[in-house]
Amino acid sequence: MSVKSSPISSTTQRIVPSAQKAYVGLMMDVIARALVSASQIDGELHGELEGFKAGTTIQMIVLPKGANFTIQVQEDKTLKRVDLGDQKPDLSVKFKHVSHAFLVFSFQESTAQAYANDRMVVDGDTGYATRFVRCLNQLEALILPKLVADLAVKRYPTELGIGEKFNKAAQIYLNVAGSYAELLPKAAQLLSQTLSNKTIKRS
Amino acid sequence: MSKSYYEFFCPVKVVAGHMALEHIPFELAALGAKRPMIITDKGVRVNNLLVPIEAAFIDAESVISAIFDEVPPDSSLQTVRAAAQLYRENNCDAIIAVGGGSVIDTSKGVNILVSEGGDDLLKYSGAHNLPRPLKPFFVVPTTAGTGSEVTAVAVISDTEKSIKMPFASYYLMPNAAVLDPRMTQTLPPHITAMTAMDALTHAVEAYTCLAHNPISDAYATAAIKKISENLIFVLDNPKDANGRLELAQASTMAGIAFSNSMVGLVHSIGHATGAVAHLPHGLAMSLYLPYVLEYNIDTNGDRIADLLLYLAGAEVYAATPAKERALKAIQVIRNMRDTLYDRTKLPRTLQETGKVEKSQLAEIAKKAIDDGSIIYNPKEANLKDLKAILEKAWG
Repeated sequence: MSVKSSPISSTTQRIVPSAQKAYVGLMMDVIARALVSASQIDGELHGELEGFKAGTTIQMIVLPKGANFTIQVQEDKTLKRVDLGDQKPDLSVKFKHVSHAFLVFSFQESTAQAYANDRMVVDGDTGYATRFVRCLNQLEALILPKLVADLAVKRYPTELGIGEKFNKAAQIYLNVAGSYAELLPKAAQLLSQTLSNKTIKRS
Repeated sequence: MSKSYYEFFCPVKVVAGHMALEHIPFELAALGAKRPMIITDKGVRVNNLLVPIEAAFIDAESVISAIFDEVPPDSSLQTVRAAAQLYRENNCDAIIAVGGGSVIDTSKGVNILVSEGGDDLLKYSGAHNLPRPLKPFFVVPTTAGTGSEVTAVAVISDTEKSIKMPFASYYLMPNAAVLDPRMTQTLPPHITAMTAMDALTHAVEAYTCLAHNPISDAYATAAIKKISENLIFVLDNPKDANGRLELAQASTMAGIAFSNSMVGLVHSIGHATGAVAHLPHGLAMSLYLPYVLEYNIDTNGDRIADLLLYLAGAEVYAATPAKERALKAIQVIRNMRDTLYDRTKLPRTLQETGKVEKSQLAEIAKKAIDDGSIIYNPKEANLKDLKAILEKAWG
């Protein structure tokens, strides 16, 4: 019996990964910005960062060269986004496929369960990897509604009160939004440069 | 609930049973190897454990090209380099590790250097950093506990730089694990007990932690059954070849289980205790196992309850109400430890070890929280939880 592939299913197959890619890319960008912000305002997360040597670089990436971010632990144990170029990070958490990253960032699979399910490869110190997963857990507990956070972490922190959660989440969201707002003038400048270049070429 | 996704891999040929050592020359020849080097330690040599292996080669008109017997209790980069040099000087083409965890880890390190060339082991440290298969590598375990004969990992210390180098690669897995009861018949009772409890912990954590899967479950439960049915019998009958073989197989099966589903909090605290107070690994496993299971019980009590069947048998399992099975399983492990204490003085609490100070508990907890295996534990544990477990284990 011959099996014919349906053009509809093949189109769907193409659209779903692109949507996943876009979603994962956006979420990884938001998570990176939120981690930077939370490292400045949350004592628990800051405490976890105390365990990293200053200068440690941590990368999260979708293989082979998909969405990614790299952060660096500063002297004061806050985080900063960095671009390492071709340099190897100290710790790299690599999702094997964008669909696996989608499971984690859509909170269908907790980071620890994804780790246990071999969805990712860790290159670097396993102690640092464990600590980084706890940083992600703390961030998710802070910024996600409790019902969603319960799916994303092994155990929701009992000591995190609703008032503290609301205040910190508000600050983190404001900082993330602010960081995107900061990008607007740069984006506008880039756009005007591009347009003027085109105008010059045409004339 | 069925497992949503898992991976399972074990390409190691298991050569097990009576006269298993006599199969080594044939198995090596099948891989095209003619000049193997044995890597071992002085203890193995002194206990004449190489004698049957050497005899097996002579009878098969094969040769052992070199023997390196200077592996210390903790593997080191310096030892790896020295053994690699001996391998090269004798133009060897395969490695046979005869020993426990340190000998096996050292041999894995030697195999990297003699296969890849050079002396820089650090270059290959980390996950999946080996580019190709290594030289033929056989392991003959002389303890029944570590399971290293079927794992893809090794840890080697650079004593000069005071760092531990972890290696993880499928290419580190031996071509064959040779289990012969003659190799464990002279193990003293307390070592037999400690290493069997190490294997039991591998199997219990493989079954109860986050990365368990249907195939690793089969290996883990079979290993638990073999240990609970044979450990006390072997202590009473140390020369019984069948009993020794059962424990050796259990250790290998537990190794196959945990190398695919990893381990959890017992190992996190055990590794930390080893680093802080130099408590032997098997002893730490035996000591912490019931306390960690009690900690996890409200998260995965159903999985712990399953273990009662393999720990105590069908009659006890059937006679125990379902909601009591998890606690009963932990009680059976506690009873097993009490028996081992009576027979071999294997400590059940940190206090009984006489090797750990109460003032060290905070440091142990701090180290344990960063151990890589903690991520696989079904229940999240923070520093406070770890200190509470350690306080209980103190006794």
